[in-house]
Amino acid sequence: MTAPAGDAPPSRPPVIARESLQGKYAGFASRFTAFAVDVGISLGVFGLALAAISFAALVLTGKDITWHSGDIWVIIAYAVWAFIYFAHSWAASGRTAGMALFGVRVVADDGTDASGRRAVVRTLALPLSFLFLGLGFVGILLGNRRRALHDVIAGTAVVYAWNARAARLRFLSRK
Amino acid sequence: MAEVRPVPRSEAWAQAVAERAVELVVSAVDMNAVLDQVDLNAVLDQVDINQVLDRIDLNRLLDRIDVNDLIQRIDVEALVKQTDLGAVIAASSSGVAGDVLDVVRSQTVGLDEFIARWMGRLRRRPYTGPPGPPDRLRPRAGP
Repeated sequence: MTAPAGDAPPSRPPVIARESLQGKYAGFASRFTAFAVDVGISLGVFGLALAAISFAALVLTGKDITWHSGDIWVIIAYAVWAFIYFAHSWAASGRTAGMALFGVRVVADDGTDASGRRAVVRTLALPLSFLFLGLGFVGILLGNRRRALHDVIAGTAVVYAWNARAARLRFLSRK
Repeated sequence: MAEVRPVPRSEAWAQAVAERAVELVVSAVDMNAVLDQVDLNAVLDQVDINQVLDRIDLNRLLDRIDVNDLIQRIDVEALVKQTDLGAVIAASSSGVAGDVLDVVRSQTVGLDEFIARWMGRLRRRPYTGPPGPPDRLRPRAGP
């Protein structure tokens, strides 16, 4: 039905009220906040692990080990841990803890589950997106499929994996 | 091509008279009064609904209906507000943690939309909602 000429067009409800969003390409804010949460989680777990090692060394040997963030071994250890955290999460379920929190998921570009190989390639290619002031992330903002450089390299995409419309109905049912 | 037989003048005249007579009768009859006198229940009693339904090809009928269009026309929000459906949904949904997740995700999607609209303005392309892959590429989404 079309509105009569001269009438103001009817305002559209917000996207989360009219669509489930499942399977749609996820936007920048969802992806960035999920990644920030993941970085926080991985750093937190890594810090706890270092503290546990220091405590165990103190109890067993009586030596107090102190860690410095600029220490090359600490950096290498964190890089290995971060690789395991991201690659394993994407290979196992297509999402990390942060992505699960924000309802987004990594899939292959043909819509199937992301395989282990794609997950590993995506993790290795992730640092490339940060080069040149994060130029690799521009594709999320401007691309039709909202893919970053590491998505293009790995042949993956990030989609919403939660039912926004069902959430909206749950909200309304409680009013 | 079949040859058109000329209508005799007397036959055409008779037909015009008949049409005019029917018009006069129809205009003189109060159809509402006639319909009031019809016992629809008695008429329906004589109709075998099952036989009528048997004649309907439901598959053909459904093929002609755009179910997606039909669903889009349903005001689900009004349905939830005005019926017990809301209570059913509330009873079947998760607890406080689920609500917090819903709120966090909704806010973030709102931010996604805000950014995407501005990007659309910069690119001089109207933003029509989050892009999605063709149906055949639609990934299996989680809960």
